[in-house]
Amino acid sequence: MTSAAPAREVGSGRRLTAKRTRQLVGFFYALPTLVYVICFFIIPVILVAWMSAHGCKLLTCTIPNPGQLNLPDNYSSVSGNDLFWPAVFFTIEYTVLATVLLIGMGLGLALLVQKGGRWVSVLRTSFLVPGALGLATASLLFWGVYSGAIGPFNPLMDGLNSLGTQLGLVTQTSQISFLGSPNTALLSTTVLIVWKYAGFYMIILLVGLQAIPRDVYEAASIDGASRWQTFRFITLPLLRPSIALSMILCITGSLLAFDQFYVLTKGGPDNTTVTLVQLIYREAFIRQNLGTAAAVSIIVLVALFLLNALQFRGLRGNVAD
Amino acid sequence: MRKPIRMSILAIAAVVAVVGCNSATATPTATPTATPAPATATPTPAAPGAATPTPAPTTFSAGTDDGTKLTMWTRAATQARAEPLVAAYNASHKNQVSLTIVPTDDYNTKVGTAAAANGLPDVLSGDVVFMPNWTSAGLFQDLTAKINALPFKDSIAPGAIKASTWDNKEYGLPFVMDLSVWMYNKKLFTQAGLDPNKPPTTLAEFQADATKIGKLGGNIHGTFFGGNCGGCNVFTWWPIIWADEQQVMSPDGKTSLLNGDDAKAVYKAFAQMVSDGTALMPDSKTEAGPTWTGYFPKGNIGIMPMPASLAGVANAALADSDIGVTPIAGVNGGTATFVGGDAIAITKDSKNADQAWNFISWIQSDDAQVNVIAKPASQGGLGAVVSRSDLANNKYSSSDPRLVMFNSIAAKGQTPFAVNFNAAFNDPQSPWIVLLRDAVFNNADSAKIDSDNNAITATLQGK
Amino acid sequence: METNSTLSRTPSYVLQGGLAILFLFPIIWAAVASVSPSPGSSQVFGYGLGNYKTLYDSGVGLPTWLLNSVVISVLTVTFVLAVSMMGGYAFAKFSFPGKNVLFLSTLAILMVPSATLLIPIYLLHNFARTVPIIDQIANMNLVWLALVLGMFQLPFATYMMRISFESVPREIEEAALVDGSGTFAAFRHILLPLVRPGIVTVALFAFLAAWNDFFAPLILINSSAEQPLPLALVNLRQQTMGAVDFGSTEAGVVVMSIPCLILFLLLQRYYVQGFMSGAIKG
Repeated sequence: MTSAAPAREVGSGRRLTAKRTRQLVGFFYALPTLVYVICFFIIPVILVAWMSAHGCKLLTCTIPNPGQLNLPDNYSSVSGNDLFWPAVFFTIEYTVLATVLLIGMGLGLALLVQKGGRWVSVLRTSFLVPGALGLATASLLFWGVYSGAIGPFNPLMDGLNSLGTQLGLVTQTSQISFLGSPNTALLSTTVLIVWKYAGFYMIILLVGLQAIPRDVYEAASIDGASRWQTFRFITLPLLRPSIALSMILCITGSLLAFDQFYVLTKGGPDNTTVTLVQLIYREAFIRQNLGTAAAVSIIVLVALFLLNALQFRGLRGNVAD
Repeated sequence: MRKPIRMSILAIAAVVAVVGCNSATATPTATPTATPAPATATPTPAAPGAATPTPAPTTFSAGTDDGTKLTMWTRAATQARAEPLVAAYNASHKNQVSLTIVPTDDYNTKVGTAAAANGLPDVLSGDVVFMPNWTSAGLFQDLTAKINALPFKDSIAPGAIKASTWDNKEYGLPFVMDLSVWMYNKKLFTQAGLDPNKPPTTLAEFQADATKIGKLGGNIHGTFFGGNCGGCNVFTWWPIIWADEQQVMSPDGKTSLLNGDDAKAVYKAFAQMVSDGTALMPDSKTEAGPTWTGYFPKGNIGIMPMPASLAGVANAALADSDIGVTPIAGVNGGTATFVGGDAIAITKDSKNADQAWNFISWIQSDDAQVNVIAKPASQGGLGAVVSRSDLANNKYSSSDPRLVMFNSIAAKGQTPFAVNFNAAFNDPQSPWIVLLRDAVFNNADSAKIDSDNNAITATLQGK
Repeated sequence: METNSTLSRTPSYVLQGGLAILFLFPIIWAAVASVSPSPGSSQVFGYGLGNYKTLYDSGVGLPTWLLNSVVISVLTVTFVLAVSMMGGYAFAKFSFPGKNVLFLSTLAILMVPSATLLIPIYLLHNFARTVPIIDQIANMNLVWLALVLGMFQLPFATYMMRISFESVPREIEEAALVDGSGTFAAFRHILLPLVRPGIVTVALFAFLAAWNDFFAPLILINSSAEQPLPLALVNLRQQTMGAVDFGSTEAGVVVMSIPCLILFLLLQRYYVQGFMSGAIKG
């Protein structure tokens, strides 16, 4: 589609060479990206796909000798894995929760800081700061916050407990168990993610907010629109490209969630917080079935690629002039 | 005061004597005094002129010591013990070992990725329970002939060697050893009206003592266990089953027997403690492993199984004299222990096998065992369990009667053997955790335990 | 509508201030916890720097790990910037066969779990060591690691640079070309300064990602002397079986975070602008 049809008109010869030259120059600038992506991404992905076709075992799988061809078993056996469907459902559950909370929170914060001023820039900085930490670091930090050993909530609970005991309200002392039940484990992990990434989505959505022309608001105000009506019928629709971009990033990131659960819950309690990538990790490194791990990876890649192609079409469709 | 310990010393003496006799009858060269002839061990003995800062009672050398640089990986959990050993070797040998520490939880990942790409170091140490997985995949060089040539072969604790044997070929030796024992807080025993010199000798007594201590209330808890941790309960519960001469798996590691009578008795005892709520620290249900040994040293746990390597956990909250140790007992008495720790082997990728052998055979020598491993931490050693029964009574062990006890029970401990051990037991998503949580927290009936046990068998068979 | 009195705004200020404190609280808590007394850590009595001393003394030591982390992060930033600046320019201002396929392939990097990708990358690394010329790069482990970490940053960097270059009006580039400068001179002297906020944002993200990554160094680095900080800190945390030292864990969190926070606060202005510059396009 991008390639030019060979034009035979004599008069356009010079223009054609100029266009060719410019194509070549563009290609030259893209060359490092091309080499990089081929060497470090395309070839490894091809290798993953090739492993996914063989009964490749972690300790013995080599490039010349990947084990016997194991198609379509590697793919068809995936759904027979006890953890696969729970992992799919949990990952979707987490993705929906994280996406709704992150974009909602990001939008709320963006509305809060969209005007200038010193106070607002202090606010903006405090919302952005958690994003500067690495995910594993942040997970470790929250692991400490949630821990009974040094977490800040235990002294608090001890205080409440002793107060309650003195007042005769409490007979059994209790502690908060942040990661102890399936629901609290999911919520506690999502809180970490919202804390860390809300600022990032705030910025993306802020960019969208700033791009809305002021006169649109003025027109609405003249028409006597209420605040809610302005938000619902002007801000939200005009913000769609930013929201779409946020959703692409958020959904992709959440569907591939690993670090936060690896550090905080390790998939527990009772295997209720196992994500798809944890399943892949377990299949590859614990059960040592590189073949099926690669098969799940390829399934996830294809699903994400299709999902994002759909979303991206929506995004670019709105963005393109 | 120290009656039980004295008694165990006697027991040890007996055991050592038995072991000594056995080995003496088996091979005349392996006497407890160990006076090996280096020439028989190796065709190229080390240069006699090599400087040895700590003169060993007997000089032993095998393999080649020619100044080669060797690489070795170990997991973070054994770093504190690996570093002094490597330092002592480097100081007394021309070969130099460079040690790379790998995060404990990610060790399998690291080794697994390196194995297929021929990227393993010369020497690899690893948790003994993972050895069958690695030997069966051909990660190591066959050491059978070399090990058999060792003058003290028969006194080396059999656990690590057995775990590293595949198809009748021996691939590994012990590196550092660890055992599971019951540790109890003597102060809390006294407070609860129990005799601090009479630790439990059956599982029922353990439960009764823990319950009694739990009744003290407040911050005091009778016992604690990692209710969401597979590896913890392998290490601490299986000896209860073994103590009664029952098994946890078939010898080939393909069939799980964790629905046996004693296993069910263990689950029942802990399920009772969970539902009763008196004995058990509530955090048990969520403990996934990272902090399970951290509670006892805080001084508010009455009795719980602990790694012997942590015997010196005395701190501000818990005095050394308040720490009691006793072997893990069975449902109907008897004692047993889990011989864990790390084995050490030479990988298929090593091009310096003779030099690597010089290093790993030195670890078994009197010099390393006594002057590094047995020497108390206060004198710059490791203060750890030796892996040779003929050295159980050494010049340092008498200073800490607990060490003598550890050394003795090590000889009759067990190390489980299964190729898919990690997937079946240690992994956070393992079927073993499903079973133990069903049985202990969810009141699973006998049939449910049987079906959970079948799931373990399936994982053991790689299904 | 905009006529709220100061009085009626007070609750909203309190709410906003409370929200800001909520976001800062965990970081402040980690800093406090790292110097607070806690049993089983190196800081048992009173407040002090015992946990930091443990970090400093452990293994090959904090200075080496810090240096490794800095080298890896700086290399990663260099690779990512060089490739994404050129690539972003190409995607924004040129059309050539295969452009969309290449752009989408670059974005697809985001869609593969990194753990899966690292296994074949490791195989390739060992293969590259045996190929003449390439082995020169492959044998420099830190360089290879930075290349791998850079690859994971490429989708964001390329996207960011593309929207940054797209926001530069075509007339500016054409004026530069008419002046007689070649495309490279125009790129180098006229366009790059205009997309500086985008460049700073990409650099910041690449630095943060490289600085914090644990899994790639775990797989690719085979020597304690070459380990970066995240790997070393996990080692430290898992030293005693079943007894995590929370104190030095939190000290590690602080040591990991400080450079990130400083860089972030210094570059914050550009960071916000970097996103804004793409705003012209939406």
